[in-house]
Amino acid sequence: MRGLKLPLSQTQRVRLQRAFEKLQSLSAKANSDASLTVADTIPVNYEDAFLKGHGTADLNGELVATVCGVVERVNNLVYVRALRARYKPEVGDVVVGRVVEVAQKRWRLEINFSQDAVLMLSSMNMPDGIQRRRTALDELNMRSIFEENDIVCAEVRNFQHDGSLQLQARSQKYGKLEKGQLLIIDPYLVKKSKQHFHHLEQFGVDLILGRNGYIWIGEHVEARDSMVIDQAKNIEQSTVVEGINQAYTPLEMRQNICRIANAIRVLTSLGFNVDLNLIMETVELSSSLKIDIHDMLGSEFHVLVAEMEAERRSLTTKRKR
Amino acid sequence: MEYVSPEGLRLDGRRPMEMRQLRAEIGTVAKANGSAVFEMGNTKVIAAVYGPREVQNRSQQINDQALVRCEYSMANFSTGDRMRKPKGDRRSTEISLVIRQTMEACILTHLMPRSQIDIFVQVLQADGGTRSACINAATLALADAGIPMRDIVTSCSAGYLNSTPLLDLNYIEDSAGGPDVTVGILPKLDKVTLLQMDAKLPVDIFENVMGLAIEGCKAIANYIREVLLENTKQLEYRRGL
Amino acid sequence: MVGLSVGEKHFIQGGIAQDLRSDGRKRLTYRPIYVETGVIPQAHGSARVRLGATDVIASVKAELGKPSALQPDKGKIAIYVDCSPTAAPMFEGRGGEELSTELSVALQRCLLGGKSGAGAGIDPTSLVVVEGKVCWDLYIDGLVISSDGNLLDALAAAIKAALSNTGIPKVDVAAETTSDEQPEVNISDEEFLQFDTSGIPVIVTLTKVGRHYIVDATSEEESQMSSAVSISVNRKGHICGLTKRGGVGLDPSIILDMISVAKHVSEQLINKLDSEIAAAEASEEES
Repeated sequence: MRGLKLPLSQTQRVRLQRAFEKLQSLSAKANSDASLTVADTIPVNYEDAFLKGHGTADLNGELVATVCGVVERVNNLVYVRALRARYKPEVGDVVVGRVVEVAQKRWRLEINFSQDAVLMLSSMNMPDGIQRRRTALDELNMRSIFEENDIVCAEVRNFQHDGSLQLQARSQKYGKLEKGQLLIIDPYLVKKSKQHFHHLEQFGVDLILGRNGYIWIGEHVEARDSMVIDQAKNIEQSTVVEGINQAYTPLEMRQNICRIANAIRVLTSLGFNVDLNLIMETVELSSSLKIDIHDMLGSEFHVLVAEMEAERRSLTTKRKR
Repeated sequence: MEYVSPEGLRLDGRRPMEMRQLRAEIGTVAKANGSAVFEMGNTKVIAAVYGPREVQNRSQQINDQALVRCEYSMANFSTGDRMRKPKGDRRSTEISLVIRQTMEACILTHLMPRSQIDIFVQVLQADGGTRSACINAATLALADAGIPMRDIVTSCSAGYLNSTPLLDLNYIEDSAGGPDVTVGILPKLDKVTLLQMDAKLPVDIFENVMGLAIEGCKAIANYIREVLLENTKQLEYRRGL
Repeated sequence: MVGLSVGEKHFIQGGIAQDLRSDGRKRLTYRPIYVETGVIPQAHGSARVRLGATDVIASVKAELGKPSALQPDKGKIAIYVDCSPTAAPMFEGRGGEELSTELSVALQRCLLGGKSGAGAGIDPTSLVVVEGKVCWDLYIDGLVISSDGNLLDALAAAIKAALSNTGIPKVDVAAETTSDEQPEVNISDEEFLQFDTSGIPVIVTLTKVGRHYIVDATSEEESQMSSAVSISVNRKGHICGLTKRGGVGLDPSIILDMISVAKHVSEQLINKLDSEIAAAEASEEES
């Protein structure tokens, strides 16, 4: 548990230990043999033709690992999957980032990668919805679309020759994110799935699981018609939003947002995968036990979630057999 | 003063070739990308790694490699007498440089061009061997951050008092005025990457003492490897499929 | 300190207005406090306090010295805080100096009383050994290892825990010395005097965001503040010190209201802290 110090009573400690032992016994035997540290030799049959992937290096004819992680073999490719590391982008990934700089014809976004990613002005839909060439006026008005510190959802378009990343936000579902909170977790806990945008109807909440470990939970916003409005209307809306109480998120929705956020916090501190099913189960567990939102971060709930996860995984492995 | 008793025991009860108690913990600073605490006896050090991230100072950006920066600071309460200036004094600057060069040699910087890796080392308690403890802690923190490295770096010190080579000197033995040899090695490649010594020593005895320090480094390497492996296994089984 | 977008700021302000903050806390709820004592065995007393992701260490060292001529019956206490670069890359080099100085001065004001030493949270008269000749100089050092807001409260709690953990060595003074000679002192290695910490205050920082105040702000919430008032209150409910930070002016009635809120919150905090310290000392003895 990273830097997590929970005051656990004796019984809680025992229960937690037991849940973790159960999880350990359930994880595939092959997995524990495949774990490596830096400079460990990777067991490979040198006669087969194999490709060296990420996390490996050639040392005096031997294949060694350069990171601590788990060896994966896919066809002929042998690579080491590092667990805790910076985000490893793939083309087509949905990511959530924060704007750090508004530069000439582009925005620079911070996305938990070794360099900042670039979102070109030409990769964004214009507010008036017309497909046209970007003029100098558009360049000067870039701040009206995104300004510094805004949270933006986008997709990875490609890699530049120098290793930096290019993003695009052409579809209606991408764009600026407001009215909610951002959570930053480790990227390895977010798995690649078909759907990264989740609209939770029963809560009225949008949940976006960025592959780079940035998770957005906010009020549900209809797909981006708000982008197709005039500049004038935009200014009018923003003055209305500032400073009036009614514009705040309603209390019930806020409670849902906080509950989901705390569920994610508990899952990450225990080291479990963060995917929609698990989050929903955790939220349902907390509401069924009538646990106060803040108490979700207490030791008792952590132990309960660990036990629940151990149960769930043992059931799925039993089903598989 | 007698540093080694006639029965062969040192001031703290150790044998001459015995190292102090080692203890390592990974993940102490939640906000850092990688962090670790390393203890060698009473010497306690925290290392935190931030990166690889965008270079903050554009002029320092290197086009084909990562920029590695390091800062070493001692807490006010770390030594017996309170220190006036925790950073910026010459010893701290020198040790920062040494750690940076040592770690830079083992990080595969060409895999992360145009980025910056910051290593911060903070000494909480100093009882001899701080340089070594810092390098060991930095290695753990870099591995925790998932930064690709050629090999881990471990470091240990050895000295020569009362005609006996001693492994892992503590503060009292270090201030005795005898030689202090600090060695840093890459255990898998079996190469020495850091070698420093003060005071004087005949060459044949130097070989002995250096050999002893290298043995110490290898023992520390085994311990660090165990700790990292345990940590990786734990993260993997928690995560599930 | 990462910046926040307009939407996020709005969300945080809304949460505070509706009494439901981002992590589900109410306005006047503290994060769970975790205390460990004896983390620096070389010091006379030490403690580590974790408040959410904020992590600080405090250590107490006592050295023999001469009391100042102006106050011969009092010992000397110095408080110094350092921000380690492990907490944030911007603290490297001299980047953390401003924050360190601000925290040191605020702690001195809240815990040490005025220039004459009167009304101090920590009583300096208990530190004197031989009046006018020998006294204990107490050096209290704080180190910030990880920062997520509310450093002042965490440091004050760590100092309180470190002082409860402190054992000042007993000193035997050689009798029969003339009035202008330095008396000989024999510092005992065996016997220690425990410091009396029941009178030491805690600091409650109230951060004003919009029209409401919150306790124990995270660094995101702190970036939204208009002003913050740190009040140090002791067990009897007396105020031992006050600091206001932030540029926005406050109506005096609001400050009085904040003080009463702080007194109310401090009762629970002192009880919680004392029980945590006792638990920490108990577990330290076991290990």
